[in-house]
Amino acid sequence: MKLTLPRLGNIEVAYETIITDMGHELIEPPPNSKRTLDLGVRYSPEYCCLPLKIVLGNFIEGLELGAEVLLMAGGWGPCRFGYYAQVQRDILIDLGYNFKMLIMELPRGNWKTLWDNINILRNGKKWSYFANQFGLAWQKILLTEKLENKILQVRPREKKKGITSRVFADTIVKIKKAKDREALKQIEREALQQFDEITDFKKKNLIRVALVGEFYVSLEPFVNHHLEEKLGYLGVEVVRKNSIRAWVEPIVNLHLFRENIKDEKEIEQAAYHYLAHSVGGEGQSTVGNVVLAHQEGLDGAIQVIPFTCMPEIVAETILKKVSEDLDFPTLTLTYDEQTGEEGLNTRIEAFIDLLKMRRRKGVMVS
Amino acid sequence: MKKIRIGIPYALYFYEYYPLWKEFLTRLGAEVILSKPTNKNILDLGVRSSLSEVCLPVKIFYGHVLSLADQVDYILIPRMVCVEKGAFFCPKIIGLPDMVKSSISTLNSLLVPLVDVRKPYGTWKNSLFQVGQLITDNSLAISRAFSISWENFQKNYVANLLDPKLLNPSLLAKDTKNVAQGLDKMTINININIAVVGHDYLVNDSYINLNLIDKLKKMNVNILTPSMVPPRIVKKQLKKLYKPIFWSLSRKAVGAALYYFENKVEGVIHLTSFECGEDSMVGELIHHQSKQYPEVAYTEFVFDEHTGEAGINTRLEAFLDMVRRKKQYEINFAPSR
Repeated sequence: MKLTLPRLGNIEVAYETIITDMGHELIEPPPNSKRTLDLGVRYSPEYCCLPLKIVLGNFIEGLELGAEVLLMAGGWGPCRFGYYAQVQRDILIDLGYNFKMLIMELPRGNWKTLWDNINILRNGKKWSYFANQFGLAWQKILLTEKLENKILQVRPREKKKGITSRVFADTIVKIKKAKDREALKQIEREALQQFDEITDFKKKNLIRVALVGEFYVSLEPFVNHHLEEKLGYLGVEVVRKNSIRAWVEPIVNLHLFRENIKDEKEIEQAAYHYLAHSVGGEGQSTVGNVVLAHQEGLDGAIQVIPFTCMPEIVAETILKKVSEDLDFPTLTLTYDEQTGEEGLNTRIEAFIDLLKMRRRKGVMVS
Repeated sequence: MKKIRIGIPYALYFYEYYPLWKEFLTRLGAEVILSKPTNKNILDLGVRSSLSEVCLPVKIFYGHVLSLADQVDYILIPRMVCVEKGAFFCPKIIGLPDMVKSSISTLNSLLVPLVDVRKPYGTWKNSLFQVGQLITDNSLAISRAFSISWENFQKNYVANLLDPKLLNPSLLAKDTKNVAQGLDKMTINININIAVVGHDYLVNDSYINLNLIDKLKKMNVNILTPSMVPPRIVKKQLKKLYKPIFWSLSRKAVGAALYYFENKVEGVIHLTSFECGEDSMVGELIHHQSKQYPEVAYTEFVFDEHTGEAGINTRLEAFLDMVRRKKQYEINFAPSR
């Protein structure tokens, strides 16, 4: 079976482990590009949020390469994400493609669909093997995220400009090829050592900024115009607040391990004064994370949102008040298919200058 | 003793739930002040106090809240989360009280009862009780007021439902007979059914939709709206979809649209507002479904604070001309149904 999946940051490190090793043929969609965006924008409803358009572009490019099955995640609202798969399916049918869509979501009542979908993925392999491969894929994602968080600290301190990204790109290739957990541990050790070699430890007291906002936009560098890299080159240490781990764990472990949701509780608690109820998506955790970032002593927060995102607009409105109350600078960057690179650069630089100025002032006063 | 004055902004979900709150509060002896229908002033107030990225209906809600601010003791903004199993309100409505609180600092006290029927403390009864306790200590009276107003609310809802005669094609049959009798074909006024679907706060707010309903009436059109379709039928229609819709306010609009498609009304107009997240998805679903019914004309109107009346007029006239011409063609040349 020829299968394709959407892209999201470096998540493709896990694809081979759960698709190719199960005996399917993996059609990897080409990396996100101008063409992906154009295709998505051309066929999506105008006021849909950006992730829907990009993922649709991924699917079209995958189908052009001969994919027969599309794998997509789902949900039950109130964020629009829960309806992505349905709308994309309708659009692709109207475009005349012939395909089957597997939607992975916690079912409402009808567990059979999920069971069938998992069996299609399992493809007659042993359950133990299937579970093991899934575990390995998850480890790969965790390792990638760990290293991604690490390079956010390394990049502003790198000895030679651009070397961090190069080292990381090599590591990603290695992670992709890894066949067992031992290999992953080896890769982790090597990578951390390499990172140490390229870091200039003399650089201290850098500006630290929290990156909050919508899940897809904050994790996909093509969509946010390589925001993390840009900030890194400006000498800013980014603290990423969204992660695939934090997104998946509450869903999957919902009924298994309660203690894993502790982090989420803490964020909710922090947001409670400003936003007392979850509004779907990352709305409440954006507010909570900004409050927490202030408590952790960070210098500021950048919120990234796709144009028309419902939960994040609620959060944006409330962040104005949070920022005022806590005297904590926040910047909201809205992305859509028209976002221009230079305008973005100017805004980021101005914001970072402001943070630097505040630091200097603080030093002088105290 | 002076009556407690409670303000209700006439926008968003209050188009649906206003009768319930109004009757309940009045029965308990509070004075209910409803904001005026949307006008230029209210829109301006709303646009000035909200972020530019917020959708038009929420901006207008802001305007209504501000217009009430100095007339009342409390402003009622329930946090509507869930009123039926498997469906929510849109994120902006769930977060509405917090948004209003953080954008407008000069407000009197807000009343924010939670309506979330999944939770024992969030049922309609409990949420109305919370508000009732502010007005009186007599819980028996609150209880009685609740049951009476709830009953009336249900009754009124049913009273507004579709009169089955409206969908009856008999009017058309009469016209066909006239044609046969040799009357002037081109001047016959063919009565057509146009369904206007969308959120209640767009269909019923004549300022946002630029008097669309009145305009249609003047053009001798039989207007059908989502509130005319009984919930039972909406539920049945929604089963056609691949995945149930999880937004309460959109359910009615989509179910109604599918129902009108199936009954072959002459045209369906979908009203949406700029930046509305639900409508962007739901519009695509309705559009996709409309392709199965080529005999039903379908169009979508998008409204924002800059929508010009002339543009809408042109589009509306063109749409109706198309529908009429098609009808005329059928009467003249196609065998009657």
